[in-house]
Amino acid sequence: MTSTLDQHSQHDVQQGHPAPRRRGIFMRPGYLRALWVTPLFFLIGMYIVVAIRALAGWDPVYDWEYIVLIAGMVTAPIGFLLGIGAFDYWLYWISGRPTLVDDHANHGAYSWKDYFKVNTDHKVIGIQYLVTTFFFFTVGGFLAMLFRAELAEPGMQFFDTQTFNGLVSAHATLMIFVFIIPAFAGIANFALPLMIGAPDMAFPRLNALSFWMLPVAGTLFLASFLAPGGAFATGWTSYAPLASEQPFGQVFFNMGVQWAGASSIATALNFLVTIITMRAPGMTFWRMPLLVWANFTTSLLVVIATPFIAGSQFFVMFDRVMHTSFFTPDNGGYVLGYQHIFWFYSHPAVYIMVLPGFGIISEVISVFSRKPIFGYRLMAVSLIGILVLAFSVWAHHMFVAGMADWLRIPMMISTLLIAVPTGIKVFSWLATLWEGKIHLNTPMLFALGFISTFVIGGLSGVYLAAVPIDIHASDTYFIVAHIHYVLFGGSVFTIFAGLYYWFPKMTGRMYDERLGKLHFWTTFVAFNVTFFPMHWVGLDGMPRRVADYAGTYGALNMVISIASFVLGASVVVFAYNVITSWARGPIAGSNPWRAMTIEWQVSSPPPVFNFDEIPQVVGGPYEYGVPGARHAVLKGGALQEAHT
Amino acid sequence: MIHRGALIRMVVIAVVAAVIASLVAVLIRWLPESASEEMDRITFVYWFATIISIGIFALVAAVIIEAVWAFRVQPDDDTDGPPIHGNTKLEIAWTIVPAILVISIGVVSAIVLSKNANAGSDPLEVKVFAQQFAWKFEYPGKVQTDELVMPLHRSVKFEMQSADVIHSLWIPQMGQKQDVVPGITTKIVITPTRTGNFTLICTELCGLGHATMRAPVRVLDQAAFKRWLDEQRAAGAGAAAGGGAAAGGASGGKSGGGSAAAGDAALGKTTFASAGCGGCHTFKPAGTDAQVGPDLDNLVADAKKAGEPEDQYIEQSIVDPDAVIVSGYQPGVMPTTFGKTLSPAELSGLVAFLSGKEAN
Repeated sequence: MTSTLDQHSQHDVQQGHPAPRRRGIFMRPGYLRALWVTPLFFLIGMYIVVAIRALAGWDPVYDWEYIVLIAGMVTAPIGFLLGIGAFDYWLYWISGRPTLVDDHANHGAYSWKDYFKVNTDHKVIGIQYLVTTFFFFTVGGFLAMLFRAELAEPGMQFFDTQTFNGLVSAHATLMIFVFIIPAFAGIANFALPLMIGAPDMAFPRLNALSFWMLPVAGTLFLASFLAPGGAFATGWTSYAPLASEQPFGQVFFNMGVQWAGASSIATALNFLVTIITMRAPGMTFWRMPLLVWANFTTSLLVVIATPFIAGSQFFVMFDRVMHTSFFTPDNGGYVLGYQHIFWFYSHPAVYIMVLPGFGIISEVISVFSRKPIFGYRLMAVSLIGILVLAFSVWAHHMFVAGMADWLRIPMMISTLLIAVPTGIKVFSWLATLWEGKIHLNTPMLFALGFISTFVIGGLSGVYLAAVPIDIHASDTYFIVAHIHYVLFGGSVFTIFAGLYYWFPKMTGRMYDERLGKLHFWTTFVAFNVTFFPMHWVGLDGMPRRVADYAGTYGALNMVISIASFVLGASVVVFAYNVITSWARGPIAGSNPWRAMTIEWQVSSPPPVFNFDEIPQVVGGPYEYGVPGARHAVLKGGALQEAHT
Repeated sequence: MIHRGALIRMVVIAVVAAVIASLVAVLIRWLPESASEEMDRITFVYWFATIISIGIFALVAAVIIEAVWAFRVQPDDDTDGPPIHGNTKLEIAWTIVPAILVISIGVVSAIVLSKNANAGSDPLEVKVFAQQFAWKFEYPGKVQTDELVMPLHRSVKFEMQSADVIHSLWIPQMGQKQDVVPGITTKIVITPTRTGNFTLICTELCGLGHATMRAPVRVLDQAAFKRWLDEQRAAGAGAAAGGGAAAGGASGGKSGGGSAAAGDAALGKTTFASAGCGGCHTFKPAGTDAQVGPDLDNLVADAKKAGEPEDQYIEQSIVDPDAVIVSGYQPGVMPTTFGKTLSPAELSGLVAFLSGKEAN
């Protein structure tokens, strides 16, 4: 796949080192080992529960809810991670067996099979993230189409209400926790170390572990459909005390979030350390590309906020399984406490899901307008502004929740003010377009589509910040419309922009531009037809999360449902384009977009260790149109391309 | 920096975008026709925000369209644009102006919010009791109803409690919305401005019967309201609750007297409706056909299967629903709070009604 293949395949045999004894096929890290270690750890967890219950004399000794919780959601996933080899190096080191500090046996992909193994190469992990999250994206989209079929007409057609609530909840949960958040982690994993001139992430093994926790989270969310009583059905917000009284499927949500959250936190720490300590010489903070800035602020948000949702889900679960009273009204519990803690994460989470997208859009707009980013420093500062304000707005989700009345006004003001740094970004992108040399390639189309839909989502956000309007619109389809304009028109559009933009870098091949444009236009039109009418039915009186609704909304819901199926079909165009182009698209070359940032100055796909010699950064990242300007100088085998 | 031609074109595009957005805002009736003073004010804030939003949307749309139109180049054009890195005055402007606009929305909102929370000097106080999946209303004088009736042009101050999980009260035409939270009492004020029939909707996901958790709402002029309330008081204080069924299903509260089986069953029928049983269960005598929980027409057979006397089986299934689970259904679905929320009379009435003792 790459020119460096011969040179690095030698690492497989590790010449000159006291190589560990070659182990049998069931003892080597991989799926075969996971196949027996996972059940073994399930049994261990199961008999811990059974032993405790037997010793305490509790009846029944085999209580399957506790067994599934401990064995299925805690020990078996650990067994799986152990089996595939996510812990091997650390366990060798702890047990005093020979380890190799710069062991590259699991680094880089030399065949497609390497993508299915534990790998420490940030580029491989990035692609693992993207393919995995895209799988959950299609599953989540499929669930959405199932309940849109139910909602096409008033009355009950296909599902009972509990199943419907389960589909709605699982859709949102998959999209948020195992698609949007980790998809950005995937893009940043691939691009960020290259952009700052680093050979890899700071903690490659932790990086691998972060990725492998994701399939665990996604599997738990999906496995909840097999639970007695059906999938968790309390929405992705999972409000107490309903959540501690629901059928057992709810626990799959509580625990799935823990795995996704742990993955997210570990990755964010990794990004922070990488950005702070591994920038190439000359890469000052004010020379960092805005994608790096965006992931820096996002990672701070993740590290500070994610423990709050982890805590809230643990407490809800404890209320169920340990009969504590964190959020139950009896025994002095504080019902609204759940919402305060939940939203203290989940509002910043909205920015976790959109700031990396802002970074992507800044890269794309600058490159395809052939102009420097307008107001680069204010762009970076506005990210910091959003980061700080993001922690002061959580209770705007609770204007009707019954919290202290006085909290409403300050929360409204901070919510309105957060529109200011967001507006700065939009205006700066528009000014960057102005007098540029605009190329409407697919990434640029998605970037412009993003700006237009995100402006609508931002404006509907201003409506919702205004407390009186929010009181009317809260918990209606207006909210559904708003979050989809922000998270689909916002986040998903930027993910697509990023995927098309870095596709040639990731694969070395160019995607089909005609199919890309077809994908954009079907997505853009179907998106707006699906979600714009939701503002209307919501304001007029249709609540969200209902399986059945008043007959007057029948016609619009039919339109929405049909458009949502078209939206689903548009993803097929994307998948077809990616798969065929990856297999046999035209060779892309190292820098098809004539971009200045460092990742485009190495081959496509990049060498396994990124750079033969660490680049020297000499200027800003977006100096388009400045005669003779360079962002970075690369030596030793990297490409020497002149910029005009 | 901006050529005169480009400027004119952009202004034209902005005006066209603003006109289109205004038409969308005006021609589609976005908000329901207001039926309360509070909704009138919410509608005012809505239009205030809409005018600002149309301006911003038109500006953004004009710049994007004009930029793509005027500055698009051929794919083989390798030149770069001018290296403009920023413009401090412009950047300050687009920080300050939006800040002023959003703060103005905030000020208007704060004023409206305080007005909407003010119940005036003579409000009607109505207690609201929510539970999965039913609403109950209590008027001064301990009059309990399943229907919300409000007087025209008089502020109604709701004090709301939930027996189980979080619910939320919303009448779309009246704008106001407030969660009903177990453990605390929440408040809201609504002042109806036109008579008619409306629907109260639960807007907080509260379990499998959430979509069916609704209650009828009527606004009467003040004289008619007074008549209605007097009727309810008379019905509640006096005769058997059976008479209340015709008047909209008043349960008659804690009727100490009616211990005869027939009276119990009538109370049971109204309780069946008010407690929301029909949201999940099919029961032919009550005319319900939901399929979330077991079909209550099969109670005799199910009791036999469980090996319990029928009345005891029914009572147990209401109070402790997970004790016996009909095959094909799951434990943990039905609320376990009915033992607390139903009065002994309502419970025995429900048992009588469900066991098939004549309801009418």
